[in-house]
Amino acid sequence: MPYCPTSPQERRYVVHMLIAAALCILFSVVAALGFRHAHPTGILAYLLGTLPGLPIVGALAATGLYLHAETDEFLRNVLIQSLLGGMGATLALTTVWGNLEDFVHAPHLGLTWIYPLFWAFSGISYGFVRLRYK
Amino acid sequence: MNQLPKNPALRRYLYRFLIAMSLYVVFLVTALWAFPIYHPTGPLAYLLGILPALPIIAVIVIVGFYLAEEKDEFQQRVLMQAMIWGIGATLAITTAWGFLEVFKLVPQLPLYVVFPLFCALTGFSTGMLKSKYK
Repeated sequence: MPYCPTSPQERRYVVHMLIAAALCILFSVVAALGFRHAHPTGILAYLLGTLPGLPIVGALAATGLYLHAETDEFLRNVLIQSLLGGMGATLALTTVWGNLEDFVHAPHLGLTWIYPLFWAFSGISYGFVRLRYK
Repeated sequence: MNQLPKNPALRRYLYRFLIAMSLYVVFLVTALWAFPIYHPTGPLAYLLGILPALPIIAVIVIVGFYLAEEKDEFQQRVLMQAMIWGIGATLAITTAWGFLEVFKLVPQLPLYVVFPLFCALTGFSTGMLKSKYK
């Protein structure tokens, strides 16, 4: 059965997240093409470099707005607990990997991986939280 | 003179946190001392590299315990909100920095800075939230 949002706030949130994801792909392509063909320097290079990150900031703001707008206390609590679980796992993993980078010269994990890792862990955490309340 | 907080959950949290931080110092010094002298390789090097990360993971678990044990709903809510703000700001900064890293506009940031960055941002958010609720 396809995923179906249960509240209007959740529906709005899903739409916001999809727009942010689409913009992130679009801005990443624009930045990659811009750097390959225009070789920008100075402030323009920094602006173009941060461009793909802007929809991510938008997605984070959308999550905050959803948490603020959601009137169903249960849904809000489940999401907050999932986010906290995702946060804990992400911080644990980045700390372990960071130490391995430093001490045993493990390959550098780009910082752009932290955001998808956080959501992957939050998704796993969401499953566990839902199971707990079943 | 007893400076310890009266709140039992907070007192337990402080004890656990201090033990974890003491272990962190011991493990970090052990790893920093052992690597240049013994040049460990293979699984031993990985174990020794991960060693300082273990008390940090313990701190994450200890914060989780504190959240579960705290009876004061206000304190619990402020900490949860502060951590949500903290992780949001951490993800925004690391993602922006990550993209700048990809385009070679900034130096590579080691992953172990993510945890202290999160703590600093959560601390800042706690101050802001507490002044808001004053």
